[in-house]
Amino acid sequence: MTVLAHGLGGSADLPIPYTYALIGAAWALTFTFAVVAVAWRRPRFDPEKPGHALPQWITTVVDAPATRWAAAIAGLLFVGWVTLAAVFGPQDSANPLLGVCYVLLWVGLVAVSLAIGPVWRAVSPVRTVYRLLPVSRRPPPTAYPAGWGYWPAAFGLFAFVWLELASPDPGSLAAVKIWLLLYLAVTLAGALVFGTRWPANADPFEVYGVVASRLSPLHRNADGLVALGNPFDHLPSMPVRPGLLAVLAVLLGSTAFDSFSAMPWWRNFVDAHAASAPFGDVGIRSVGLLVFAAVVGTTFWLGARATGGVTRGQRRALPGQMAHSLIPIVIGYVFAHYLTYLVERGQQTVFGLLGLRHAEVNYLLSLHPSVLATLKVCFVVAGHIAAVIAAHDRALRLLPKGHQVTGQLPMMLVMVGYTFTGLYLLFGG
Amino acid sequence: MTTSPLSRTLLTLAATALIVAGCGGSTGSESSSSAASGSSGTSGPPASTAAPQLTDDQSPPTRLVVDVTISGGEVTPTNEPLQGAVGEPIVIRVNSDAADQLHVHSNPEHTFTVEPKNGQQFQFTVEVPGKVDVELHELKKTVATITVQ
Repeated sequence: MTVLAHGLGGSADLPIPYTYALIGAAWALTFTFAVVAVAWRRPRFDPEKPGHALPQWITTVVDAPATRWAAAIAGLLFVGWVTLAAVFGPQDSANPLLGVCYVLLWVGLVAVSLAIGPVWRAVSPVRTVYRLLPVSRRPPPTAYPAGWGYWPAAFGLFAFVWLELASPDPGSLAAVKIWLLLYLAVTLAGALVFGTRWPANADPFEVYGVVASRLSPLHRNADGLVALGNPFDHLPSMPVRPGLLAVLAVLLGSTAFDSFSAMPWWRNFVDAHAASAPFGDVGIRSVGLLVFAAVVGTTFWLGARATGGVTRGQRRALPGQMAHSLIPIVIGYVFAHYLTYLVERGQQTVFGLLGLRHAEVNYLLSLHPSVLATLKVCFVVAGHIAAVIAAHDRALRLLPKGHQVTGQLPMMLVMVGYTFTGLYLLFGG
Repeated sequence: MTTSPLSRTLLTLAATALIVAGCGGSTGSESSSSAASGSSGTSGPPASTAAPQLTDDQSPPTRLVVDVTISGGEVTPTNEPLQGAVGEPIVIRVNSDAADQLHVHSNPEHTFTVEPKNGQQFQFTVEVPGKVDVELHELKKTVATITVQ
């Protein structure tokens, strides 16, 4: 058992310098209040607004059955190759399965979804297997309960971050294999019972990909054409379903907990109390992870519920209607936090999968710490500013005249709190 | 591009052997228990590396020494925050009553075999900046986190 960071070993990023954190926080704070007080007074962003349509042939190619099958088969072949590597490769931390799980799947999927849209739906091995089975031609035996919404995905995502950040040994090849097999089994079983509504709502990676894809410049117009548009128009198209806030809270809370759990005092605390706590250090870390996700979810929920000037019914709907504004923060932190992992461990993983064991990884980012620190602060501040803009625009649409500035103050305070916490964790963690 | 790491490697003469060994072995445990190889007596910063390269090297000719004691299943220190410099030799001196493995989570990683005896010395350099955990594998304890800049 080890305390390998993210189960991958290697060094972690340097903390960002104090001045960077301070400058970032100052910009974020100024911008937040500038947006709330003096920016536009009329909503500008509309998911119905068509983007700049790309040529028809692009849509034709993207939607062609041949393209869809090629993507699906490529996904299956990749899974097969990774399975071979997992079974016949080195049975220790050098096995590329760990990098596939923690880097390509967890971070790479976000980057690709952000660039070109929700690709997991096209390459998901479970969806492909389901499509090949005869049952997929019949209506599913059971209707997916609407009340479940994204909750199964929230649990799945929590199970993943638990494996990565709280389990006894995130670097254990056996643990990762068991987790992935369980994921495949549960997702396939769900698809057999509920049809494709299950992967759309409950597959943690598909939901994560959809979340990330809302910030993509590429989306579809109402007529189905692939179009290039403003991500802010696309962002509110995130479906509001039960559990959406939980999904985002798990994503943001776990990233924060990851930074937090590198702090020496927390490690000393875990070491000191591991013997007396139920389930030892795993129990303490699990509770810590849960608390971080719960704090993010609860503060956002309270911030939305504390909005002034709306009726009781409107108030109840607000946390869901505002939740999409958390997406830029989630994506900003994912890149601030995992960029070196994606670039450097990503190379390592790809080399491992290709059998190029002696290929040299280019530590481009780590070797330029000030560039890296600048990028990280930019990601966090840009994510924050985008979130404030999205929340402001949605508030203008939802709040009655006369409450449009004061009504959104609680939410802005919550957002400022997130920024300071995030920068503090990057700076001190 | 290729000459710069090479020349840097040459500067840290003492570490050269370790780095070469690290590149050669795929993931292996380069168990270099170079125990008490004469220099263990010198306590302070020794008049180490040769003089001529000082002209173009910014880092002072110092090295970071971490003293680790393993006794009765307890290790001191734990979770010790330390500062290091890129290319500067880092020496871990271990007095132990148990066999263990010392993992240095740098890029690339280093692994040293700890034997149940006093006065063991392990030396490495970190060439890629980052926060490097030094961890005892069997005891599952992080000894120190070295911020290498």
